[in-house]
Amino acid sequence: MTKLHSSNAGTFAKMSDNADSPTESQKDDPPTQQPPTEDSGLVDEKKKIDVLLKAVGDTPIMKTKKWTVERGRTVHSLSQFISRFLKLEPSEQLFIYVNQSFAPSPDQEVGVLFESFGSDGKLVLHYCKSQAWG
Amino acid sequence: MADDKDVLRDVWFGRIPTCFTLYQDEVTEREAEPFYLLLPRVSYLTLVTDKVKKHFLRIMKQEDVEEMWFEYEGLPLKWHYPIGVLFDLHASNTALPWSVTVHFKTFPERDLLHCPTNSVIEAHFMSGIKEADALKHKGQVINDMQKKDHKQLWMGLQNDKFDQFWAMNRKLMEYPTEEGGFRYIPFRIYQAMSDRPFIQRLFRPVSADGVAHTLGDLLKEMCPSAIPQDDLRSLRKRASSTVLRKTKGALALTIIQDKSKTVR
Repeated sequence: MTKLHSSNAGTFAKMSDNADSPTESQKDDPPTQQPPTEDSGLVDEKKKIDVLLKAVGDTPIMKTKKWTVERGRTVHSLSQFISRFLKLEPSEQLFIYVNQSFAPSPDQEVGVLFESFGSDGKLVLHYCKSQAWG
Repeated sequence: MADDKDVLRDVWFGRIPTCFTLYQDEVTEREAEPFYLLLPRVSYLTLVTDKVKKHFLRIMKQEDVEEMWFEYEGLPLKWHYPIGVLFDLHASNTALPWSVTVHFKTFPERDLLHCPTNSVIEAHFMSGIKEADALKHKGQVINDMQKKDHKQLWMGLQNDKFDQFWAMNRKLMEYPTEEGGFRYIPFRIYQAMSDRPFIQRLFRPVSADGVAHTLGDLLKEMCPSAIPQDDLRSLRKRASSTVLRKTKGALALTIIQDKSKTVR
């Protein structure tokens, strides 16, 4: 059963902060992950944002598409989460896109992407096993 | 804006004199001499340091060489940040030349992205251009450009060709006159003492009343602590200098703040 985030009428699953798999080692932690600070001046803002994941081409579709993610989570961390969820081979790459146009840097925080490119209260991200939009 | 050719040229041709020194623990066959290079502010470390690699590889065995990476005073330098941002953020208050240490071992996986080929740099660069255009024009201008136009942008940067670059970039810097500006201004504010990589939020070039926003307006809204204020009571001094760089259709602001300790 997927965990449901309490503030979202049960539609967005909570993405675990830690490794999805019990065998994940420290080495898998994303580079330069920086969680946001309390006193960033945005005290009313939620610490988490809603993400909708969409598959591109023949990439497997995730059974759970809607996730609630910590703002400070990086694109790399999200990419690893999706790869593990889809049980991709270590050799298989995963590309993440915003606006169906650009691939954000792996160390980019999802919270920042949400601020600039979120709509209807969520950030839509497309993922693909091959380069979809160059 | 594209009429300020002098400003554009000054930004493009900005250089940082740098001294590259091999890390002392690297294994060499002979004494390593430092290597001096003028680094373009608008480019990326891994794109402009082939000569540095060649220089040090001459005195090293192949088995002692892995992916090259750079460090300044113990801090790994992120190649995917523009060189000018790296310098302004970490070394702007120090004497020139900028002293950078070169490593060929123990790549810091947690701090740096790998950069095996130039196509990785190109992909990163183009993604930045697309992200900026998504903010400026909803991506319409970059999407209407052909693949060869995108290539020209990249080649212009790679080969340090101002005219080649701006022939394409000027399209990305245009906006309908009736709008008064882009949809949103693509900016990132980097701060020397911060736990976040940078500040990036939506910001319109014109206020609701139709008045053009200034840099000061942007800072006031996004980073109010960057604006110097004298606080005589606590004897706390803040010196802040803002280095403005307008390049590739996006604004990278590096804010250097120096807060001395409060005397009680």
